[in-house]
Amino acid sequence: MNRATATASIRAQRYAHVLKLERWRVWTMLTALMLLFVVLLARGLWLQAFNEAFLQGQGDARYTRTLKTEANRGMITDRNGDPLAISTPVQSIWASPRGMALLPPGQKRDEDWEPANDKDPVPVSQDELKKLANALGMPAADLIKKVSDGRKNDKGELVRPDFVWVKRGLSPTDAKSVLALNVPGIYAQTEYRRYYPAGEVMAHIIGFVNIDGKGQEGFELTRDSMLAGKPGSRTVIRDRRGYIVEDISTIVPPRDGETLTLSVDRRIQYLAYRELKAAVESNHAAGGGIVVLDAKSGEVLALANAPSYNPNSRERIDPAARRNRALTDIYEPGSVMKPVTISAVMDAGKLTPESRVDTFNGTMAIGPNTIHDTHHGGVLSIAQVIQQSSNVGAARISLMMPREYMWNAYHNAGFGEVPHSGFPGEAGGILRNWKNWRPIEQATMAFGNGISVSLMQMARAYQMFADGGQIHPITFTKLVAPVPGKQVIKPETALAMRNMMESVVQPGGTGMPARVVGYRVAGKTGTSHKLEGGVYVNRYVASFIGMAPASDPRLIIAVMIDDPTGGKHFGGSVAGPVFSNVMAGSLRLLGVPPDAPTDNILIPAPDESDSRE
Amino acid sequence: MKQIFYQALKRVRPSMASYDKALLWCTLLLLAFGLVMVYSASIAQAEVDKDTGFRSTYYLTRHVIFLVVGLVGGFIAFNISTKTWQQYAPALFILGVLLLAVVLVPGIGREVNGSRRWLSLVVINLQPSEIMKFVVPLYAADYTVRKAAFMGGKLVESITRGLLPMLVVMLVVGSLLLLEPDFGAFAVITAITMGLLFLGGFNWRLFAGLIIALAAGFVGLVVSSPYRMQRVLGFLDPWKDPFGKGYQLSHSLIAFGRGEWTGVGLGASVEKLSYLPEAHTDFLMAIIAEELGFIGVASVVLMFAFLVLRAFLIGVQAAKLDRAYQALVAQGIGIWFAVQSVINIGVNMGLMPTKGLTLPLLSFGGSGIVANLLALGVLLRVDFENRQLIRGVRRE
Repeated sequence: MNRATATASIRAQRYAHVLKLERWRVWTMLTALMLLFVVLLARGLWLQAFNEAFLQGQGDARYTRTLKTEANRGMITDRNGDPLAISTPVQSIWASPRGMALLPPGQKRDEDWEPANDKDPVPVSQDELKKLANALGMPAADLIKKVSDGRKNDKGELVRPDFVWVKRGLSPTDAKSVLALNVPGIYAQTEYRRYYPAGEVMAHIIGFVNIDGKGQEGFELTRDSMLAGKPGSRTVIRDRRGYIVEDISTIVPPRDGETLTLSVDRRIQYLAYRELKAAVESNHAAGGGIVVLDAKSGEVLALANAPSYNPNSRERIDPAARRNRALTDIYEPGSVMKPVTISAVMDAGKLTPESRVDTFNGTMAIGPNTIHDTHHGGVLSIAQVIQQSSNVGAARISLMMPREYMWNAYHNAGFGEVPHSGFPGEAGGILRNWKNWRPIEQATMAFGNGISVSLMQMARAYQMFADGGQIHPITFTKLVAPVPGKQVIKPETALAMRNMMESVVQPGGTGMPARVVGYRVAGKTGTSHKLEGGVYVNRYVASFIGMAPASDPRLIIAVMIDDPTGGKHFGGSVAGPVFSNVMAGSLRLLGVPPDAPTDNILIPAPDESDSRE
Repeated sequence: MKQIFYQALKRVRPSMASYDKALLWCTLLLLAFGLVMVYSASIAQAEVDKDTGFRSTYYLTRHVIFLVVGLVGGFIAFNISTKTWQQYAPALFILGVLLLAVVLVPGIGREVNGSRRWLSLVVINLQPSEIMKFVVPLYAADYTVRKAAFMGGKLVESITRGLLPMLVVMLVVGSLLLLEPDFGAFAVITAITMGLLFLGGFNWRLFAGLIIALAAGFVGLVVSSPYRMQRVLGFLDPWKDPFGKGYQLSHSLIAFGRGEWTGVGLGASVEKLSYLPEAHTDFLMAIIAEELGFIGVASVVLMFAFLVLRAFLIGVQAAKLDRAYQALVAQGIGIWFAVQSVINIGVNMGLMPTKGLTLPLLSFGGSGIVANLLALGVLLRVDFENRQLIRGVRRE
């Protein structure tokens, strides 16, 4: 009781002075606090209604990403729609070395390991990498080197990259088993790999793409933008872990590459390549080329070269094998030029097929130079000049005309000018200005010496004999409508020349091995010495260019074999059989009706000496 | 006739409720709003966090539990008379200081993000600094009333017997808080005590001098060293180092900018998708700003302003009734809510350097919300007693 009163009195004492609160202090403080709230409102208004554009821009920079959607590369097909180049999806494995911390051998990652912050790398054990290397089929040491290498920065610290390819182009099932190992820092990305079903057969036309899908050669290069299409894009907001939260703009779908339909016929191409390759091998030649043209439209039905390469292989390709000889290499064509020369003179009305030319003894001197024939001379008809391939005859005919006229004739036939077939690196050949011609040059040009052409140019020029004197532009893409040609010689001249050229493959001609059973063939052989360092040497380019059926030509085939060393070197005997086999097979494939009695009997091949030019 | 007249009068004058309905509804509205926003802000983070067991409702359920505990605590606090609170204020204060000391003992206090702020009790983590924020108004008001004689008196006496004891006490509490460290709680507690001394009639010239001296000292320290200046003023330009020091603030500001007037819509925040750290606690306001825009921000700010206004008016009412202690307690609680909400929102808006203070009543944070509701229970009690006195109900 006492105690209670005591406490009460102490309490009373302690609180004896009654506190009188001053009103102004409350209002001052309340006003100050309310002002702070007003400041907050003002700041909020500034941030949200006036500075929002800047802030949103900063936000977009942090979490919006424009993702590229790869476009599927367009197919390349032949004229019948058979695929020649296809893209197939593959998985490429990549690593982020910066996000990985390699543990010393034998150590394992703790079960409950967690990143301390965003940049904390995930520990990866050597065992995990060994398993991964095993699944990828690569040596473990290589893999460890790949994920641990980096470059030194200026402070001497090792900076490891965020991205490095580990292995590209895995099949989806292989990639799945690799990713199933769940190694931290290892990811996969879908890529497209180009596959060429025709392989080396088509290599020079199609070309190939590099590992990044960019065209490197052939039509993969020239039509790259058309084939590649346009990658699409998608702008998205991602959360911090990279998951897409929403699309913030309309998705631009990728525009897949267009399909490129070539004029090439895969079956004819295959035949042409097979025959060419066989001939190059059996003649121990350095190389060869073959061009098959549609005689009426100028479309290329086949173009092959030997040696070739496999575009599906990623091995280093021999530069010699990459050369598209038929288009980019120039050579002196030799006697295959004679029909062009002679038809030009005939066109001027100075000759008829019945006209006769004296070839003397098979030699002719022009100034200090002499032209030789391989055959015995004498007075020959024009047809015989063609059939027996008389150099003296062709030279004398050419010299009947002024230089300028002959230059125009060659020029109109497409020599000395790039053919514009839409192919990279085409050669235009060499046709010197007529003002600098000496008579001996005009004479040798008549039989294809002193003029350089590509095989494609030669084949193109022969269109004038096949299609009533017209030359159509060369094209590798399938034509929807025929392209009008250029009238180079009169139709009568063309027909007359074609008839004369038929005699080349008949007994007494130089090109008998080029005959085709059931069809009439018109053509011309060519054998030219190769030039080495400005001097003609005893090495040859053997060629044969011809068309069939001669009554109404459907195909023109030009064959060229470079430097045959297998004992034979004449155009008729080296290039002729290739022509014959390809022509026979192609005409049957195309279902062209025979224009010669099917029961005609093949005369046994004449002696080698008889087919000499 | 007379009776009819009185009855008419009764109808015109609304009958006064026995408690402050507006304040209660404002509190409940803020709590409900906070519940929704805590869920919205935490759902994405909770879903991907191993610690939460990948449960999206992890923070929601815990927040609800704390709300229930807080509401029960607030109801109990409301039922305790202010006299009792005053009587036990010194004891509570000593208990608070002890808890602040205990939390610093390694092994007892739990360390999170470099700060030792939590006491691990069996079920929940107790944050002594939050309890302290509740106890300080009760204690400081009592102190001020006790020292009433020296408050407005002679200068020397008012310093030695009025200010000094409090300064000593605050030095102890302050150092304990800075050892954790918990700058936010330190700022709040200092503001409450200083504010109550001022309201209690402490010599205002001295007060003004003290504030000017403190400010001058602070400015001097900052200006004398460019490094310190950079530390202190770094928050003003988070875009200088947006991926390092300015990371959190720059993302908070981006959230405000994305919200514009009406917000991107409830649940549609991008910043909460692991970009903005502490989205459901210290930076809840940024998520409110992003999802509900300036309208949401202004609503929250105005509700807090209203709450503070009510606390001060309740204090004024109590002062009119010569209840100085109750008046100071009410206004102390008002200062607490005002300072903490202003600092939190100010930090979110880039007006102040990051403090580590939650948004009262809204943010996720166990002890904090319980302490807030205990204080509001006491505030409603002060008002309740005011109304009883006006009605002429005599207690005791």
